[in-house]
Amino acid sequence: MNLNSFKTLKRSDAEFEDYLWGAGTHLQNKTVPLPVKTLNLGETNETVTFQVFTHFEINRPSVWTLIASLIKVHTYILVLMPLFFVLAKNFVDDRARDPFSIILAAIASLFLYAGLNIRNDVIDHVYGYDRVNILKSNKPIALGWITARQASKISWVLMGLAALIALPAFFLERELISVMCVVVGLFMLGQFVKQNSYKHNRVGEVILFILVGAGLASGYQVSLGAGIDTEILVFGVMWGFAVLFLIHVNNFSHILTSSQAGILNTMTRMGFDKAQRFLVTWWSLFCGLWFIYHYNYASLIWTIFGTLLLVLWSVPLFNKILKIRSPLGSDLDMIRKEAYRAFIIMVFILFSENFWYVGEKLNWSF
Amino acid sequence: MNYKIFSPQDFPAYLPKLNTLFDELFSGGKGFRSKLVGIVSAPLGVDVKVQNLLAQTIEFIHNASLLHDDLVDRSQLRRGKKTAWLKYTPEYAVLAGDYLLARVMVNLSGHGNIKLVQYTSEMISDLLEGEWLQDSVVGDFFVTIEQLDRIHNLKTASLFKWCLRAPFIANEKYDAAIHSHLNDMGSLLGQLFQRSDDLLDYDIRNDEGKAVLGDLKSGYLNSFGAFMSHQMSRAQVDKMIKSTNLDDLYLSFSDNAADGKEMFTKKVAEFDGINRGLIDLYEHHLTELEKLLVGNEKQLIPQLRPLTEILYWRRKPS
Repeated sequence: MNLNSFKTLKRSDAEFEDYLWGAGTHLQNKTVPLPVKTLNLGETNETVTFQVFTHFEINRPSVWTLIASLIKVHTYILVLMPLFFVLAKNFVDDRARDPFSIILAAIASLFLYAGLNIRNDVIDHVYGYDRVNILKSNKPIALGWITARQASKISWVLMGLAALIALPAFFLERELISVMCVVVGLFMLGQFVKQNSYKHNRVGEVILFILVGAGLASGYQVSLGAGIDTEILVFGVMWGFAVLFLIHVNNFSHILTSSQAGILNTMTRMGFDKAQRFLVTWWSLFCGLWFIYHYNYASLIWTIFGTLLLVLWSVPLFNKILKIRSPLGSDLDMIRKEAYRAFIIMVFILFSENFWYVGEKLNWSF
Repeated sequence: MNYKIFSPQDFPAYLPKLNTLFDELFSGGKGFRSKLVGIVSAPLGVDVKVQNLLAQTIEFIHNASLLHDDLVDRSQLRRGKKTAWLKYTPEYAVLAGDYLLARVMVNLSGHGNIKLVQYTSEMISDLLEGEWLQDSVVGDFFVTIEQLDRIHNLKTASLFKWCLRAPFIANEKYDAAIHSHLNDMGSLLGQLFQRSDDLLDYDIRNDEGKAVLGDLKSGYLNSFGAFMSHQMSRAQVDKMIKSTNLDDLYLSFSDNAADGKEMFTKKVAEFDGINRGLIDLYEHHLTELEKLLVGNEKQLIPQLRPLTEILYWRRKPS
């Protein structure tokens, strides 16, 4: 290996930004600098050692793998399930008044979600979250499949496309403007109060909870021309709770490295022992919300059957969370998978339930 | 070098057992860390008395950690002798370790360089964090090498970083860029030393005659174990952790012992390849460090260059 393949730079160095973004006048053509060690993250004396590879040295995957990793295809259920719920609910209630706008909103939300996912990776790379944590999934920027600059450009294009696609829906459904104003305002607050607050402070977590929960669900419903009602807000709160559970679990799995890097989220603030109990409490509260929602808005059979199934599935999860012994080690990977599995089971129940209501409406015989 | 007495108050003769315990513990140790302090101190022109203080500090801290570590791990032997907790009771082993750490603070604070005291305290804190974390992953046979690296960076590398940086701090040289490189170099040396030590457990370059598969038998998957098990199936990992000797271990790779041995050898070569990358990174920092040193300080570079050869490859520099 050539010794020139390493470069140590301070944040104040002229070349620093070019190396971090993987583009600029200080970089030779066809080279890919990847950070291998970061010291004093977030401080003025932050120092990063890069290993500089040639393009040919990077093992690039297929285009599909690259795209899937970049836009995080496996997490699309977070935006697709609320969409399905809104469609099913309003179909059953005969309130699906504007199919054209919901199609636009749905496509726009998929583009927006892709853009935001890529943006999130860019920010994690530039501000260092991904440089200090042990990565659990393929991160295209960290692996050199794409530079931060290229990813950033793609994210802006996707977000721009989302805005263009959604534009006609704002003319058709004026109420959507108010929803978007709140969503964009909260998003900006989350981005700029502190860089990428979603991972760095609790205000960011609350904003995320509103955006992915009530914001997303009511946005879809308004696009459908059905307006906002209490049911969609309660569903949104419930969905936000579930999504935030996954985020807390993910943050918990990085509790040691994040704490060492000075990242302050709910998990790092609580510390290992309290965080374990908090996760159990959070998912228990979600189960409570699930019951309240179903008791008020769903059929009795699904309230009892769905809640029982969810609780029965959750008990082993609670045991596993409380049994974790180390803030490092394989238990953390296991708990991320288990939490995701519980989430998927919940989605499956919700999907089956709403599919059932649609079937009833269409007089299907099961 | 005699580290035992720096100040007349060190090791009062009236305390029963403490002096004997100390003499037994320190005899047989290679004193590598204090030698490293000497290697760094000499070109910087660190006063001989201060060099002695630094040497005592690092040896006391290292040996305090061994006293406590042996008790935590319930180890029977240290440097070929019965461990202190077995010979003198666990209570005395804990107290002796605490005493060594206390003497470090007394003597260092007496020297008067508050930054050195602070840095040393941080290092002790890191060391203990590392011990704590290591204990929390005992019995975890699916831990990854990246996770173990975090532990070793605290437990093993913190001492190496200190050996490189403390002489500069003692000489009141606080240049941030120099310390950043020294920090990274210490981290790499610690990692390489630990990984090499972990290979001994699998009888690789084991000239010291360390007990084979000791870590695995005591429920601890070390860095090479984690590297090997990374792409193994659950059944293979099961076989691996039940191995009582190397022949058993080879069978976790393949049902045919000869093939298994060949695959094991390949894994060692791959592991060495990864660590060659770390050695290259160390060389990079050394080159950068050289640009920042002035005058006699530059003599430090040829002294530091062979360390990876000694610590990872376990051979005298060519």
